[in-house]
Amino acid sequence: MSERKTIDLNILGQVCPACLLVAIKEMNNNRNELKSGEAELVIKTDHRYATRTIPDSAKAMGFNVDIKKEETYYEIKISKRQ
Amino acid sequence: MTPEPEDNSPSPNTPQNDDHELQETNRRYATYIREKVNQLLQVIGTLPLSPEELDDDTLLDLDPIGIVAGSFEQILEYHKEIITELRMARDELQAIFDATGVGISIIDNDFRIIKCNEKQRELLVDKDMHDITGKYCYEVYCNKESPGLDCPAVDTLATGRSVIIREVEKKGKHFQIVTTPFKDGEGGDVGVIEVLLDITEKKRAEDAEKEQRGFYLTEKSKLATIIQSLSDGLFVTDKEGTVVSFNNAAQKITGYSETEAVGMPYENFLAMLAQGTAGNHISGKDFRNTELTVLTKDKQQLVLSLTSALVKDSEDRAIGKVFTFRDVTEEKQRQEVYHRTEKLVALGQLSAGIAHELNTPLGNILGYARLMMKDKNLSSLQKERLEIVAEQAKKSNAIIKDLLSFARQSNPALRNIRDVDINAIVTDVLRILRTETEKHGISVHAGLGSLLTIKADARQIEQVILNIVLNAIQAIGDNGEIWVKTACKDRSVIIEIKDNGPGIPDEVKPRIFDPFFTTKPVGKGTGLGLSICAGIVNEHGGSIDVESREGKGTTFTIALPVHNS
Repeated sequence: MSERKTIDLNILGQVCPACLLVAIKEMNNNRNELKSGEAELVIKTDHRYATRTIPDSAKAMGFNVDIKKEETYYEIKISKRQ
Repeated sequence: MTPEPEDNSPSPNTPQNDDHELQETNRRYATYIREKVNQLLQVIGTLPLSPEELDDDTLLDLDPIGIVAGSFEQILEYHKEIITELRMARDELQAIFDATGVGISIIDNDFRIIKCNEKQRELLVDKDMHDITGKYCYEVYCNKESPGLDCPAVDTLATGRSVIIREVEKKGKHFQIVTTPFKDGEGGDVGVIEVLLDITEKKRAEDAEKEQRGFYLTEKSKLATIIQSLSDGLFVTDKEGTVVSFNNAAQKITGYSETEAVGMPYENFLAMLAQGTAGNHISGKDFRNTELTVLTKDKQQLVLSLTSALVKDSEDRAIGKVFTFRDVTEEKQRQEVYHRTEKLVALGQLSAGIAHELNTPLGNILGYARLMMKDKNLSSLQKERLEIVAEQAKKSNAIIKDLLSFARQSNPALRNIRDVDINAIVTDVLRILRTETEKHGISVHAGLGSLLTIKADARQIEQVILNIVLNAIQAIGDNGEIWVKTACKDRSVIIEIKDNGPGIPDEVKPRIFDPFFTTKPVGKGTGLGLSICAGIVNEHGGSIDVESREGKGTTFTIALPVHNS
């Protein structure tokens, strides 16, 4: 099994909802790779609000979402649904 | 909402004014876009954009409508996938629902059928009934007008709990039924799921097994009855040789109870029976009409004919042994009598020949001796010697008379058969012997029962009784007692002659009826008396038995059949 590609989206310092739109845009641009499971999108954000808006949208679009809290930011991983 | 220019009134056409208007228009468009994007974000399920965090220029630069449109495209695609998956799941579920081996029926709170699977239809729905949805389950499945008291669905609807009924009969079939409450998405009860398992075949198999078991129990009981009612003794051992069953006849013959015999190794049991009797070989072999001399529990000696066989199971494996035995004591005695009679006949013929041949020369010897004794010229010594010759010739003549008597009783042509009263003969014999008994101080007790007349040779019967009573007198010697009893038993006349003499030693007992066997000194007896008696009784179809213990006296028992031609 080949390694899954990671697409990093660093929106540290940006505030929502700009970051929501940026994240959705990234999901739109990489939809095929994300849906097939070839890639996963890892978003780094320090805006707490984004930990609600981004997962809500990603779930509605049919993705699997994992949120992890690091020391100074949140990491939201968007991948193919199970 | 479509953005409309808010004010169309004329205004001074200055570059500042134009700029201002353009800004105003852009602001309105930006507001419109922001509102629409927020509206769409809300549809997606997320929070609206706020102007403090995203100014209009940045908003427009981001192309939010394009982004949201792309998102919607993905959402719709995702929904399509979900719908396809749900359809597949529904079809799979329906296939399972129909293919399962149990009947499944979904019933609402009013007992109306919402749905049922093919198996349920096959099990309980009449063939001519097509659409059953909305019909009452009790009408369709149970042919009833209202739910039965034993209906598990009633119970489940009332209690909200699952109910299981192990066995119920519907339309000639047997079922196990499980009812489970059926809830809607919010957890409210909307009815009952009823699952039916057809156990008709299982029940039939159980009934057949029960019947089979009953059959075997009946057969077992029959066999037990047969075993218990057999006239032969029978006992059965297990694989280890331990007695496990001991029938009534076995108890009657051996005197041991079932409790005493059961649990014993059969070899120990046989050894216990054979104790003190010689010549029995009983260990570890099969028996086929093997004769065993045994002692019963009450110390009676019997001869048993024993046969054994292996007991095998349905697969021909040995699971024990069965032993059967008969009491052949009487049979053996009869055989002995038969052999003795055979011998008597042969001896009778021989004796008749010898007697006939010796009678004439002895008569001559006696005649001539007497004739010579009349000669007056004889010296006294010669006379004395002639007397000895005559005396010895007379003695020899007596022996010959005995021999002839012995020969005659084996010759049926010489017998004189007529109706005979045994009591009269006994009375006569005792009268004849009265002098003899009184002389020896012997008291005679007669106990004469009421008898039927029999057909017999009176002279021969008299000879038998006389002989036996004389033997008793001789055995007692002086001072003793003799009892003579007569009775009728089992169509036979019984004559019992008992004395309190010294008895007959065990080693002598088997030979007392043999011809020429005597315990008297030489010259005192011919050894033919009892042999002649036995021959006479035998010829009359009767039997003669002796019971004697040393020091305890002797009893002779003669049985003569009433119907005897």
